[in-house]
Amino acid sequence: MTGLGVIAPNGQSAADFFAAVVAAQSGISLLSPAVISAPNSFVAGQVAFDASARWRPNELNVIDRATQFALVAAGEALADASLDLTEEETFSAAVYWGTGLGGASSIEESYRGLFASARARVRPSTVVLGMNNAAAAQISMANGLRGPLLNFSTACSSSAASIGEAARAIRHGYADVVIAGGSEALLTYGNVLAWDAMRALAHADPVDPSRSCRPFDVNRSGLVLGEGAAALVLESSDRARQRGAKIYAELVGYGNASDARDISKPDVDGQVRAMRAALKDSRIDADTIGYVNAHGTATHVGDVNETAAVKCTFGERARSLPVSSTKAVHGHLLGGAGALEAVVSIMAIHDGVIPPTAHLETPDPMCDLDYVPREARRASLEAVMSNSFGFGGMNSVLIARRYR
Amino acid sequence: MDTLSAITELAAKQFGRDASTITADVPFQQLGADSLGMLEFLFELEDRFDITISQDDAAKMQNLRELAALIDRELASTSAAPRK
Repeated sequence: MTGLGVIAPNGQSAADFFAAVVAAQSGISLLSPAVISAPNSFVAGQVAFDASARWRPNELNVIDRATQFALVAAGEALADASLDLTEEETFSAAVYWGTGLGGASSIEESYRGLFASARARVRPSTVVLGMNNAAAAQISMANGLRGPLLNFSTACSSSAASIGEAARAIRHGYADVVIAGGSEALLTYGNVLAWDAMRALAHADPVDPSRSCRPFDVNRSGLVLGEGAAALVLESSDRARQRGAKIYAELVGYGNASDARDISKPDVDGQVRAMRAALKDSRIDADTIGYVNAHGTATHVGDVNETAAVKCTFGERARSLPVSSTKAVHGHLLGGAGALEAVVSIMAIHDGVIPPTAHLETPDPMCDLDYVPREARRASLEAVMSNSFGFGGMNSVLIARRYR
Repeated sequence: MDTLSAITELAAKQFGRDASTITADVPFQQLGADSLGMLEFLFELEDRFDITISQDDAAKMQNLRELAALIDRELASTSAAPRK
């Protein structure tokens, strides 16, 4: 992995974002009244972003907010990697992207025009704004990448899948370079209410709304939705070495497994099998994993089941294995979550620091691992695991290793 | 404001150009109108003038002058036959 890009609620570059994660600086705040009028108790990880400073109005007609984030993150990752592709190389440069809800805000806007205005009118660009593959397509167009172009939509694991599949594409010779990642911009009136209807959302902390997402804490109240994007440039280690690229880490393992049980409730067994599949793929010993970036959404069932799954996968070693959820400070980016947390995991190796689980004061008695509460730790990490578990029982796990 | 001036301003916004650089006879392609951009432009015009531009008519339009004339004809026919 030779390039990183991030636009997140608590940082608008990979470096700024990771510094905020390590310092437990939260990007979560009360939901803008522009989305749902106050007073309410909603909080979200919102990105302060002025699209009109980056695109002309006519360009914005066909670039949804989620795609705007995707283009920004992909641009940063590509610049960071200094790829400088030749004409010939663009044919084997791929985009593997992940989205959960695609152009959610554009689709909702179309409903407004259809049902809430006197003339039932829907804009001609609604289809290309709203489709799930819009971000992947726009990244390809903006950067002239003409190899395989695919989008993965596996809910909360979408961009973990896109990264894992990208690594496989390189390993199997379908692409030489892949820009992989995911994006999401789901903070809309209807969507926030839909999540709230599942009784899954955290209430605003009455003292400090930025502390509303508290994974593994007995006083947690649920997950916090976030928006943004993260992108990674992947290439074969031979190619990266030959061109003298800066190499953050090596992606060595990817595993998928499905729960085949419940559409929304996560299951221990599927998670264990995904982690084991990633370990098997990586050909490294489980003891080599020095940190697990948990899916850790801060729902009761999610936290408890992931804890059980880590114990089942790692056995006795689970007791001393640092596991943290950084969603406490950036929220749950759904389609962007896997990529954002892959960036966290890679930077953890690269910078030798384990990011904390922010705001964790009193662990849930059913969550009894080392969650790295509140404070980051210096550590020389040989390999790390990043978990992403999606609705529909779609589990993807990535393993990255220090490059040598 | 006459129809041509009004749609020239809308075209400038739609195609990301300065209105002073747009003349009535320049072909839409030269304004940077791709197919979707053109559809968005027609959509805006229908909203602004409260008319319907048929696909047959739209396909014949080459430039802003022709389009302004079409809109004026539509406006005349709708005012001659008032809506319910």
